[in-house]
Amino acid sequence: MTALEVEGIVKRFGDVTALDGLSFEAGAGEFFCLLGPSAAGKTTALRAIAGLERLDAGRVRFGGRDVTDDPVQGRGFAMIFQTFALYPHLTAFENLAYPLREEKRPADEVARRVDEIAEMLRISHALGRKPNTLSGGEQQRVAIGRALIRRPGLLLLDEPLTNLDAKLRHDTRAEFKRLHRELGMTMVYATPDQLEALTMAERLAVLRDGRIVQTGTPEELYATPGDSFVATMVGAPPMNLIPGEISRNGSGPVLSLPFAELDAGRWRGAATATEPVLFGIRPHDIAPVNGERRGPGFSATVHLTEPLGDVTVIDLQASDSLVKMVLPEHEALAYRVGDKVDVEISMEDTHLFFRETGVLIPSVERPDQ
Amino acid sequence: MSHPTEPQGFVGWLLSPERRGALLVAPAIFVLFVMNIFPLMWSFGLSFFNYRANRLTVPSFRGLYYYERVLTDPVVWERFQTTAIIVGSSVLLQLIVGFLLALLFERAFPGRRILLMLVLTPMMLSFVAVGVFFKLFYEPTFGLLSQFVSVFTGEPYAILATPTSALIGIVVADAWMWSPFVMLLVLAGLVSVPKYLYEAAEIDRASWWRRFRTITFPYIKSLLLLAVLFRTIETFKLFDIVYLITEGGPGSSTETIAVYVYRLAFQFFRTSQASALAYILLFVVIVLTNLYLYGVQRRSQEL
Repeated sequence: MTALEVEGIVKRFGDVTALDGLSFEAGAGEFFCLLGPSAAGKTTALRAIAGLERLDAGRVRFGGRDVTDDPVQGRGFAMIFQTFALYPHLTAFENLAYPLREEKRPADEVARRVDEIAEMLRISHALGRKPNTLSGGEQQRVAIGRALIRRPGLLLLDEPLTNLDAKLRHDTRAEFKRLHRELGMTMVYATPDQLEALTMAERLAVLRDGRIVQTGTPEELYATPGDSFVATMVGAPPMNLIPGEISRNGSGPVLSLPFAELDAGRWRGAATATEPVLFGIRPHDIAPVNGERRGPGFSATVHLTEPLGDVTVIDLQASDSLVKMVLPEHEALAYRVGDKVDVEISMEDTHLFFRETGVLIPSVERPDQ
Repeated sequence: MSHPTEPQGFVGWLLSPERRGALLVAPAIFVLFVMNIFPLMWSFGLSFFNYRANRLTVPSFRGLYYYERVLTDPVVWERFQTTAIIVGSSVLLQLIVGFLLALLFERAFPGRRILLMLVLTPMMLSFVAVGVFFKLFYEPTFGLLSQFVSVFTGEPYAILATPTSALIGIVVADAWMWSPFVMLLVLAGLVSVPKYLYEAAEIDRASWWRRFRTITFPYIKSLLLLAVLFRTIETFKLFDIVYLITEGGPGSSTETIAVYVYRLAFQFFRTSQASALAYILLFVVIVLTNLYLYGVQRRSQEL
């Protein structure tokens, strides 16, 4: 069942169009992510849903009710801000109790609910303290608690992990998943970090310049990016995009890259395409050859190695292009900068995009596209 | 290792680099001493002697006699009362008007800059200008106020003729001049409130009053305290406006303690008593100023 429905919302700030006909739907109880680079319009979209921005066009519906013209207070959504926005002169307890105050609930009920939520978020020890004496993680959890205490139908989260250190980010990601499972509320989560989006979201939408580029489950977006922008946004290290040309010889279409010629028969559109293209290949679909090379591949020089612990990212230089390859750490030990290496490409998960528009050229193996 | 062309002796000692700073401020300190510090100490001395500035008799030492006389003088306490009434009502009025103006100027609207400049003008005027302006404004025959009232009553209105209305006239003039000052302080507090807190409060469905109490007020609290203390100190010494508009009248109903000191010193020539009273005032102001500085310190610790 659809809970939140955002339909063609437009928001302009002077000459700048922040949201340009943005549309998406989030199901009831769904964890929905908005993924996009900075200035893509994620924050503006959340603020528009919350009612903090007046829209120039479009509608926002929640639970079948049109809330576009409702004031912020009337929508009853909760929001977690990137800055946390805790009330600096109130204690953690008063911050948590703040959303309940206007409902004129009896003091013992307020105290009980604050204690409950504080226990769930493990901040019971800090209730008497002011925000500036709390650690970043504690502030974060007070902000989460304040958003959850009213049991809102919809929770909006604006890059809530940006101001935390790496370790805390990891823990809080797990925390959000747990909270979502336990409370079952609809959540819309904006982030520039593909890792957050892939690990937490049930479905996500990739944003660019105030528009949705593609919507789907993390698996769908990872496996079949709709265009080259999504291809580079989803997955780390990002997909290699190598400029190439399509030509035809006797046996069928051929993809010419600066450093290799590949059979382009697996792309349906390739038989007729004449425009320049981008060849997309994920770093882990490239592997060094032991002995004789059988499949498609190319020769390159090791340009740079980035050990990340369990895996190592190796930048290969082939002709003028840099191509990233991921190897398990123990295999990568064999390679030094400057070494010659022969690599093979596994073609099943490679993609072809029009260079001009970035649009995906459908492949034969996936007729559903 | 002195250079042959360098001045020798005292001049050389005086011009050496380590005394250059002291030498440069010396003239200023000299003037300050002659014009301010010496008269201050001298008048402090006079408050212990029997002395009248218009007689040639040799002053004789009377110890704390004049302090005792001043403190037991019912007129002094009456003047203190008048001053307290003016301070209390004027500071309160300045707070209310200044606060409302700050709320008005907090948000952007067309013409805000120009209007803000106009509103700040009274504070920049000299006391004499303000005094003369209000004297003309209150004038029974031609004054704007009288003309305005006579539209309704058909009779000219002399606001300075009765004790109560004259007090109101003084308070209004002082508040007109200094409300912009309170506004500036409050405005500084209002704009220091981060906007996202109001947004969070909107999300949390807080009412206007709750938002004001829990977010806005904590940010302007200490600035308001400073405004009250600063204005209290200043209004306590109020002399110029009163002397220009009413000269303390009608009767002595608007005579502040500062005007009374002036009368004692330069109309009655009871110099010793005037000095003693002036030092009592100075003591009160020092106490208030220390409170003010304490407030400033608290504010800077909070930020």
